[in-house]
Amino acid sequence: MINITRVNREEALRYLGGAGEPDSRMLALLDEAEDGLLKAAKPKYLCKIVELPCEWLLRGGDIKKHLGGCEKAAVMCATLGAEVDRLIRVSQISDMPRAVVLDALAGAMIEQVCCEVDRILSEKLPESFFTYRFSPGYGDYPIEMQREYLRFLDAPRKIGLGMTESFLLTPTKSVTAVAGISSAPVPRGRRGCAVCSMQKTCAYRRKGSHCGFQNLT
Amino acid sequence: MDFRTLLNTKEFILLDGAMGTMIQKSGAKYDHSPETLNLTSPGLIASFHRAYVDAGADVLYTNTFGANAYKLEGSGCTVAEIIGAAVGNARSAAGGRALVALDIGPVGMLCEPAGTMTFEQAYGYFKEQIEAGGDADLIVFETMTDLLELKAAVLAAKENSDKPVIATMTFERDGRTFTGVSPAAFALTATGLGVDALGVNCSLGPDELEPVVAELTRYTDLPLVVKANAGLPDPNSNEYNILPDRFAECVQALLPCGVKIAGGCCGTTPEYIAKLGEMLSSNKYTPVPRTADSAVCSASTVVEINAPRIIGERINPTGKKIFKQALVDNNIDYILSQALVQLKGGAELLDVNVGHPEIDEKSMMVRVVKAIQSVCDAPLQIDSTKPEVLDAGLRSYSGKPIVNSVNGEEKSLSQVLPLVKKYGAAVVGLTLDENGIPKTAEGRFEIAKKIVERAEALGIDRRDVFIDCLTLTVSAEQEACRQTLEALHRVKTELGCKTVLGVSNISFGLPNRGLVNSTFLTMALEQGLDLPILNPNIEVMSGAVRAFRVLSGYDKNANDFVAAYNDAPATPAAPAAKPQQGTADLFTAVYSGLKNEGAAATKLLLEKEDAMEIVNQRLIPALDRVGADFENKKIFLPQLIQSANTAQACFDVIKSHLAKSGGAGVSKGKIILATVKGDIHDIGKNIVKTLLDNYGYTVVDLGRDVDPQLVVDTAVEQNITMVGLSALMTTTLKSMEDTIALIRRTRELQNPDGSSRVTVFVGGAVLTKDYAMKIGADYYCRDAKESVDTAKLVFGK
Repeated sequence: MINITRVNREEALRYLGGAGEPDSRMLALLDEAEDGLLKAAKPKYLCKIVELPCEWLLRGGDIKKHLGGCEKAAVMCATLGAEVDRLIRVSQISDMPRAVVLDALAGAMIEQVCCEVDRILSEKLPESFFTYRFSPGYGDYPIEMQREYLRFLDAPRKIGLGMTESFLLTPTKSVTAVAGISSAPVPRGRRGCAVCSMQKTCAYRRKGSHCGFQNLT
Repeated sequence: MDFRTLLNTKEFILLDGAMGTMIQKSGAKYDHSPETLNLTSPGLIASFHRAYVDAGADVLYTNTFGANAYKLEGSGCTVAEIIGAAVGNARSAAGGRALVALDIGPVGMLCEPAGTMTFEQAYGYFKEQIEAGGDADLIVFETMTDLLELKAAVLAAKENSDKPVIATMTFERDGRTFTGVSPAAFALTATGLGVDALGVNCSLGPDELEPVVAELTRYTDLPLVVKANAGLPDPNSNEYNILPDRFAECVQALLPCGVKIAGGCCGTTPEYIAKLGEMLSSNKYTPVPRTADSAVCSASTVVEINAPRIIGERINPTGKKIFKQALVDNNIDYILSQALVQLKGGAELLDVNVGHPEIDEKSMMVRVVKAIQSVCDAPLQIDSTKPEVLDAGLRSYSGKPIVNSVNGEEKSLSQVLPLVKKYGAAVVGLTLDENGIPKTAEGRFEIAKKIVERAEALGIDRRDVFIDCLTLTVSAEQEACRQTLEALHRVKTELGCKTVLGVSNISFGLPNRGLVNSTFLTMALEQGLDLPILNPNIEVMSGAVRAFRVLSGYDKNANDFVAAYNDAPATPAAPAAKPQQGTADLFTAVYSGLKNEGAAATKLLLEKEDAMEIVNQRLIPALDRVGADFENKKIFLPQLIQSANTAQACFDVIKSHLAKSGGAGVSKGKIILATVKGDIHDIGKNIVKTLLDNYGYTVVDLGRDVDPQLVVDTAVEQNITMVGLSALMTTTLKSMEDTIALIRRTRELQNPDGSSRVTVFVGGAVLTKDYAMKIGADYYCRDAKESVDTAKLVFGK
């Protein structure tokens, strides 16, 4: 079970236009919205480890490159749950500024949930090295893979995470991803942030990016 | 023996255990989904079934949980093939010793509003499965998490077969399904839809189900079903932690809640079922009658009519110019804001009436019901004089609604009551008939009695008939008030029905109507009125109900009353802006996003300045400054929106001033906005809408997941030449391209020389300027601010 008690505001503020330090008006908005979000969110995740090569998983060149040299991969998905979507929807009618803040905070929070999954994994497999998370839709990895991920993890039944006919995840604040697992250190460009020594100071990460994304178009 | 006979004659019915667990344990390999094994390894599947028959199971679930057209896509098998084979496998294994239940799980896509699957799509998937399973003895819907999807399933079963139906949902540890359905709402809704038994399966172990099962039993008379998991799987070994003996023990503890049908879900095997059967054979079924009072619900909220509850009356165009315009303009957001504001005012139920000669009432009812249910939990009262509108509204409603209304006329009784029965709703019964409204209480009571009798003859519980003894105008007929109250009292005490009454008619033609209304309301409450229909935002009305609930002992310790009034923010005496500084104030107010102050400052300025002057010299510059600061990263997006909202409040003041002085409107141009087909991320589009609104443009918002044809039709019908499209995902950019292509192709939207009359601007996270140009857009807007700049450019103002 994942329990998040504070949302990463820096990240959320970046989504909101990144205008430096928030003033008191912004802070009040953030406080109120964060409170509402934490009450509405029910973070859930699923994670299964597969042996590589795994035929259904490897479609296109980028994912093969990404998982190159790894013996296993962790296939995962995570969601904040349907109530968060609803909260944002209601706010869009009654209070648009709040909706925008909620949306940004929820975006930051689902990333936090994923980082928690990374952490749980690395605790479970202390001897292993991990790549960063790679998701359907990155590079040439087809978005259609959402369907395979959800089916493989039995996500609709187990955590209520599904998708639409155009492969958008529902609830919307959700993620599917795969991380490579290796017994040998992973090259920096593919290394997962949770286990990277640059974690605290990385310039890419501060911008919400990843050093590995530079290779993707 | 058929299932219904079994249900009536046998003490308990034993269901089978898990199929998935058996398949997993056998190590059987399958290509696409476990359902394909019905065709590739029929013997293996039959052997699992046989093991359950040998363990004593009375009913076998076919191996068809995910055998719907959506999930089977890509498997190379059809629904008919798999279900046909699956029923055959179960039937052969049963050998006459057990019944075969067609097992149907959720489609695998979420229904609107969480997802994009419509009620009709879900219905279509289920219908196909039900038709394919014609040889089964009964139909089971299990592991359901969405109440609307379950409703589609049960209706598909009822309308396409006459087989018995069992419905079970899956609840999480917080006592709700993934989509937030409560056990009570499920029990009320499924009972109303006429299932034969209902209950819970999967997700939790039987040791954790007591709260869920206890809640179910409070809201239904039906026998309950429990098909629990064998506890929780160990994350490493995947073994479940409750063993057969303990499993049976835990189920035994649930029997006093009215459980009559039991089996096992994930992790259970024939051994569990054998133990369960052993336990059941030494117990007696205890039927538990429903204890809840009259109740209606949405998917997440049950409102029990055990105290006076307000039905909000404001979603109704009668006598409301703005509301009528909203209907004509398809302005759903306006209607939604009416819903939300009434809930804030104290309404617990909302009446929904969208009857207006200029629109298609039926499709509007469906749209509005769906939209309201996507943002609020209050149960709804579907209000129309047309049976086909009621039918459509009832069908698309998630939960148990109220129908408004039936009356004593033969035509009404024979058209409306069957709908109420079919959809399991409650109904308002008006005490009038072919001869009009009886003058006397006696006459109205007689009609009420007739309505109740006719309802009961169709199997509608009188707890679901709410009688309206009708309020007449006291200034026209002074005695009428007494008659209404007396009839109400008699209905309440002699028929035992709940009562409903619209109250504000009473004061028509009198001065100080509020006083008359609230006094009448209090009198009616004292006579036993349960459901006053009123405007909860008139404080003296909702206040009277709140006070009555305290004084009559419904509101224990006056908790609700205190909550409503104690921390009411001492009405922040909207600072009557310092008179001398009106000018400076308006700028500050807009810049700082202070709505009330902005409106007050505008009012002051209007006393000495021309309206358009204020717009052009003050409001727009203030907004431009905010926009520039946003671009320069001095403020955040929500602050930009707050400022825009404040400007909107100022515009509203100016608009109503101009309307009074007969001046011209201030709309600068009409713009269509839509999130393209397939895309459900609409927050970006909504931000653009807010800003365009605030800058004085008229926006026709078509919503999300919008068909290209609808964009074109709206542009043609309303002669709109500017269209904004939004798409968030790479996958939906194709829809954007299609929409633009259709706009360009449409003759009516072209100039005589064949060039397009429509300016298209597009935006969205994954879009780039190059791509926007490539797919034929005229402008690419990086953010909401740029959309406004583009509109200014196009309209030249």
